[in-house]
Amino acid sequence: MKFIKQLIPWHRLDRTLLLSLAGLMTFGVLFVYSATYNNETYTGAHWLRMPHYKQIIFYALGIGTAFVLCLRDYQQTARWANVFYWLSLIMLVAVLIPGIGSVRFGARRWFDLGVTQFQPSELAKVAVVLALAQFLSRPPKELKEPKVLLKALALAGVPFLLIFMEPDLGSALTLLPPALVMLYVAGAPRGFLRRLVGGCVILGSLLLAYIFFMPKDWQPIQFPDYQKRRLMVYFNVDYASQYAGAGASQAEISQARALQRQDSYNVVQAMISVGSGGLTGKGWKQGIQNAHGYLPRGVAHNDFIFSVIAEESGFAGSTLVILLYGGIIVAGIRTASQCRDRLGRLIAIGVVTLLFSHVFVNIGMNIRMVPVTGLPLPLLSSGGSSVVCSLLALGLLQNVRLYQRTI
Amino acid sequence: MSQPNNATDDQRLYLAGAALLFGMAILLAGLAYVQVVTALEHEAEQKNQSRRTVRLPAVRGAILDVQGRPLAHDRPSYVIHAYLSELRHHFRKAWREAPHDTRTEAGVRHRVVGDFIAQLQLDQPFILTEGQLQKHFIEQLALPIPVMRDLSQTNVAWFMENAWRVPGMDVEAQPHRHYPSESVAHLVGRLRRPQSIPDEERPYNYRLPDFTGATGLEHTFNETLRGSAGTKSLLVNNLGYRQREKIVVAPTPGNNVVLTLDLKIQEAAYKAIKETERKGAAAVVMNVQTGDIIALASLPVFNPNVFIPSIRSDLWNEYREARPSPLRFRATQERYPPGSIFKIISGLAALEAGSNPTNFVYNPGYAKIGRRRVDDTAPPGHYDFREGFKHSSNTYFITRAIETGAEPIITLGNQFFLREKTGLLARQEAKPEFPTLAEVQNRSNWQDGDTANLAIGQGPIAVTPLQMTIMTAAVANGGKVFSPRVVDRIMPADPSRTQEARQFPPADVRGTLNVKPENLAHLQRAMLADVADDDGTGKRARIEGFAVCGKTGTAEVRNREGRHKITWFASYGPFEKPKYAVVVMVERGASGGLSSAPAAKKIYEALIARDNPNSIAGNR
Repeated sequence: MKFIKQLIPWHRLDRTLLLSLAGLMTFGVLFVYSATYNNETYTGAHWLRMPHYKQIIFYALGIGTAFVLCLRDYQQTARWANVFYWLSLIMLVAVLIPGIGSVRFGARRWFDLGVTQFQPSELAKVAVVLALAQFLSRPPKELKEPKVLLKALALAGVPFLLIFMEPDLGSALTLLPPALVMLYVAGAPRGFLRRLVGGCVILGSLLLAYIFFMPKDWQPIQFPDYQKRRLMVYFNVDYASQYAGAGASQAEISQARALQRQDSYNVVQAMISVGSGGLTGKGWKQGIQNAHGYLPRGVAHNDFIFSVIAEESGFAGSTLVILLYGGIIVAGIRTASQCRDRLGRLIAIGVVTLLFSHVFVNIGMNIRMVPVTGLPLPLLSSGGSSVVCSLLALGLLQNVRLYQRTI
Repeated sequence: MSQPNNATDDQRLYLAGAALLFGMAILLAGLAYVQVVTALEHEAEQKNQSRRTVRLPAVRGAILDVQGRPLAHDRPSYVIHAYLSELRHHFRKAWREAPHDTRTEAGVRHRVVGDFIAQLQLDQPFILTEGQLQKHFIEQLALPIPVMRDLSQTNVAWFMENAWRVPGMDVEAQPHRHYPSESVAHLVGRLRRPQSIPDEERPYNYRLPDFTGATGLEHTFNETLRGSAGTKSLLVNNLGYRQREKIVVAPTPGNNVVLTLDLKIQEAAYKAIKETERKGAAAVVMNVQTGDIIALASLPVFNPNVFIPSIRSDLWNEYREARPSPLRFRATQERYPPGSIFKIISGLAALEAGSNPTNFVYNPGYAKIGRRRVDDTAPPGHYDFREGFKHSSNTYFITRAIETGAEPIITLGNQFFLREKTGLLARQEAKPEFPTLAEVQNRSNWQDGDTANLAIGQGPIAVTPLQMTIMTAAVANGGKVFSPRVVDRIMPADPSRTQEARQFPPADVRGTLNVKPENLAHLQRAMLADVADDDGTGKRARIEGFAVCGKTGTAEVRNREGRHKITWFASYGPFEKPKYAVVVMVERGASGGLSSAPAAKKIYEALIARDNPNSIAGNR
């Protein structure tokens, strides 16, 4: 008993964080089940292959990892930050090599581990946050030096580029907010931050212009076509204007429109799911969109799990989900503000910003606030890498809380 | 490494935290907009893509005769339905197993359905074609497809026992319009597929087969008979397969229409005119005291059953091109010269004009008007009213008419409403032809020859058998000219819905003849003699113990098809207490006495048998 008591400072566990986690995990199991219980792929499958059981297993795995992480003070763990960072960079490079990384939906993002797939970019994001926190925790006056700032940028920029090359633009972009917020909180000079944000905006606009307006034959780097189409769907650009020129025949125009319908199908159906949930939803397992196949079965339980939740539990349920994520963010900010050392507060704010980016992009794409991208909703979407890495990140947050030096 | 944080650091942290929470607030606002503000739009979109409404036609009301025998009714027809949503897996399996180079989706599906049907071992052929199945797939995927119709009772029983062997099949009873007797086809009419869909019914995704009245009472009473359609709502999946269904509004069955017609008499009348072995004929039976129609038969007939679900085009062309046309209702829709049965009117007009019925006219075998000569089939000799009537002497009636002029005939004819429709059937009645008073008073156009023609029912006069029945009935009942009726009441199919029941009033007396009773009596006795006397032209209608009164008629017609005769027998009975009027018209008959009177006799025998169920007709 005494041994267990001495493992970690139990009394310093963050109750807000744990309650929010428990709530989200309950939602996760319930709705992963609801999203897949009548999916023919899983009828008659072994129970270990059922997504909701797998989800429980991954939760357990994630909690276990997080617990192990919490056995040691984050100050000690942070010394290994560079090791984690380089390991994840190696994995990010390895996944790009055909034969090692496996291709799904036209992108090379996964290691096939047999029983499950592992997505190194999920781990890399956590490693980047930890490495960046470690790097930026140096005395603030060093952050005035351009060399240091550029090094910090490179720290985030290299994995960004590697993930971008998979290609997984959505995942890569989620690195941006944590990096910016951490630089800001660490005390980087205002001018530098302004230039950085300005540079990002200009770069983003150029990228959009490049994708939309540069004729395909002239493009030195070919973007996958679907990325352009996703953006066109998001900006509601008429396909006929892009894919069928001025002299296009009726058949070509209708072909372009059909492609547009096909591409916008997911987001249209997601909108219908969320919207038709109304105030209180249709009830657990009563979602028509999901049960009758309007929400594509391949994505209902992972990237579009929020649609299922929103349809079946309504605005009440989605508010609860937002509040639970909000609870984690509040717990993170509180931890950061109470933490009297720079490393701890940077880890805390970095982790919650990373979580926030995922939540914002994923829920945003369900209601068409954000372009569709293959990004999981942390803790709710079915999928091992995302669940375990999210719990790992939140373990770091808990660790800061456990071992921080308060005044 | 760790050093105290300054104020700016805290400020930056709180600002960053606030930004994150603000982001969450934006998400919440976005969700509120989608799930609360515009929720109804999305709900509507969702219904739009996942709901299909099906119009369920109501069971159509029956048309019944006076005894409640069905003339037209919906009876169950058993159909095997295949539910495609439940057969999907089998389609997919068969698709995988089929040889890849020759398979087609339609072919594989058709084979799967066909194989299952074969497993049921029904002794009825599987007639659904690949094309039909494919069409159903494209247009009505959410609905079950009927794969076998009109199952016999044996096959229904067989199916019930064996249905467990095959997936996704069910037997269902569907209403199927049935007309038990052809004899009443013209009056009852037929159905057709509706040609246009009323606007208020357009929102339906699917419409189950439905019919509307095309002719006859089916058309006139369409609104009463059809009831009101119900609505079924189907939930379909993203591929359009049916998932669940729910009846939103149950259909209300239509009301029954009960006629005054008696199917037994109708069939007897139809049989009687058919036995004349002529191609075109009509017979009308009416109650002379009430004006109720008891039978309205017409030959040739069409079969209304062949119009369900739709008539084959070759058969339809056959119907349209056949002569005489089976689509014409000869009792009311076709006009004929009345010939000698018009002597009922011209004779009565002469008596009314003051000619003495006992005065004789000499008949040399012909009548001469100016230089024109009209042959008389009555042998030469002296004729009074009764003799002239029963031998149908043209000379007698022409002589009397020329004495009185045409005006009395026109005046009396008008009292029988010979220029007007009877109003019995809305769309199946021809407008008759009869001269006006002004026409006959115009001496430059109207000659004695015209008067002579009119007196014997030729010339500018054309009537329907129904009109002649009303005329005969008026003579029999002492002068009441009826607006006849054939529909007695409307009865709800569900006896508890009494507020929808409706009893029609008895037939209207349209007018009363302004004639002296003794003249009418003279006429009635002459009509009795025509049948009762051995030398009467209508003697072939005589029945022991039932005094039939009548008048034969044979009118010459010349038209494109050459010369032929329209032969009539207008009659009523019994003499003492008139009850029925029976008029038989036969196209291209030999003569009224030979062709029409025997048919009338058979109809009377049927009437007598009906009224005296314990005796055998004609043998009392």
